[in-house]
Amino acid sequence: MEQNQYMVEVENVSMRFNLGIEKGFSLKQWFVDVGKGKKHEKKEFWALTDLTFKVKKGEVIGFIGSNGAGKSTLLKVVAGVMKPTKGEVKTYGTVCPMIELGAGFDYQLTARENIYLNGAIMGYSKELIDRKFQEIVDFSELQEFLDVPVQNFSSGMIARLAFSVATIVDPEILIVDEILSVGDMAFQAKSENKMLSMIGGGTTVLFVSHSIEQIRKMCDKVVWIEHGHVQRIGGKEICDEYIEFMNGKQG
Amino acid sequence: MLNNLKYVFKKYNFLLRQLVSRDFKVKYKRSVLGVLWSLLYPVLTMAVMAIVFTNVFKFSTPGVNYLVYLMSGLIIFNYFSEASNLAMSSVVANFSLINKVYMPKYIFPLSKCIFVGINFLLTLIPLYAIILLTGTGLNVYHLLLPYGYLCLFMFTLGFGLILSTVAVFLRDMFYIYGVVLTLWTYMTPIMYDIAIIDHPLLQSLLKCNPLYWFVYFSRRIILYGVVPELNAWIYCMVFGLGFLLLGVLIFKKNQDKFIYYV
Repeated sequence: MEQNQYMVEVENVSMRFNLGIEKGFSLKQWFVDVGKGKKHEKKEFWALTDLTFKVKKGEVIGFIGSNGAGKSTLLKVVAGVMKPTKGEVKTYGTVCPMIELGAGFDYQLTARENIYLNGAIMGYSKELIDRKFQEIVDFSELQEFLDVPVQNFSSGMIARLAFSVATIVDPEILIVDEILSVGDMAFQAKSENKMLSMIGGGTTVLFVSHSIEQIRKMCDKVVWIEHGHVQRIGGKEICDEYIEFMNGKQG
Repeated sequence: MLNNLKYVFKKYNFLLRQLVSRDFKVKYKRSVLGVLWSLLYPVLTMAVMAIVFTNVFKFSTPGVNYLVYLMSGLIIFNYFSEASNLAMSSVVANFSLINKVYMPKYIFPLSKCIFVGINFLLTLIPLYAIILLTGTGLNVYHLLLPYGYLCLFMFTLGFGLILSTVAVFLRDMFYIYGVVLTLWTYMTPIMYDIAIIDHPLLQSLLKCNPLYWFVYFSRRIILYGVVPELNAWIYCMVFGLGFLLLGVLIFKKNQDKFIYYV
């Protein structure tokens, strides 16, 4: 493979949300609205506008910006969970989003069954899970609880299991929304190390974090997003500009 | 295109299996009788209906055994109502996943239709037990039954895809469909023979019900030991394939919007 091959290409991506959408719309609500003479106005909100950037193979790219700047939306678009309203996202290789831990668990099933179920949801093959099963179990330190339904687990145990399943692959493109560290102190250190070694391990990483220190430590390239626009793209010097900007906002 | 389809199928085949087996484990884990319930439940429902309709309403089906008559219709309707109901809520129930990781969304309604489908195959055991016990007997045309059941599956899946799409946008659907299903139960000749309705318009109206044709198809074979008429073959396929295509079309057109309603 070429060194300069692009793994992710984001071209002129815009994302529009319609804030008028009533989640869980019901007929009752409709009658109430009609009765009050309330009209459904279309409130549009552009979460992302005209974003363009490319990520090379092996690059670790960090996204910074204030809350609600559009960072998480951007990651969702790259992961394929959302389709952009305009523009195009191309990914070359397997994309692995570090999903919120345990989202795919069925609490009535045992830990063993959940490893397979959650693995399948993350897009792993059966062979892969078979091969890595022991590794997952060892990492989670839940050997004795393998055949216990997850609903009897403590939240720390669930987080450990979920983390172990989620981080077992070496994807070509890794999407990380905040570094996860879970469990007790010892496991937190272990899980953070695992994440750092995944990020540092030569994969292409898209990484969102509010910890400027982590971004500075890990990333080759930094994209600063503000109000859905790319404010700056560049090296680590962007971090300083960002901090200055944030300080300015406070003062 | 075809290669792409093959790739997607291969990639998500494992997930589909996992989802189906998850439903099985969850369903049978806690009950003492386990899978036996799947066999027992239709028999008990049939028994209740048989008692009510033969004693209270004096229904009868001349020339054929009423128990077999009931059972052959009941398992088809039960499949449809359970599978379509589960399929309807499957997308909404998995919003937390859809919101976080990409996967083809049709996999949820599909896995429900397959899961209930395997249960349906289990209910064939009590059906055949009753066929033999009542002396109705077997015939070679039973080999044609899978055609009708396959059409039923396609119809149910298509219908489930439509329902699950609507349910995303309109949560009232869960209540509305409950009422619709109750009506549908009586509109389908499960416990009565369509011939007892002497109003010709109403009778032809009842024949617009796709489920009528799946039931009719299997009863011609099981009860009367004949090959179903050509129009039964055609109606089954038209409803089955037609609704499947319609469902796929509607689902595909709307699936990218689901995420905004999460």
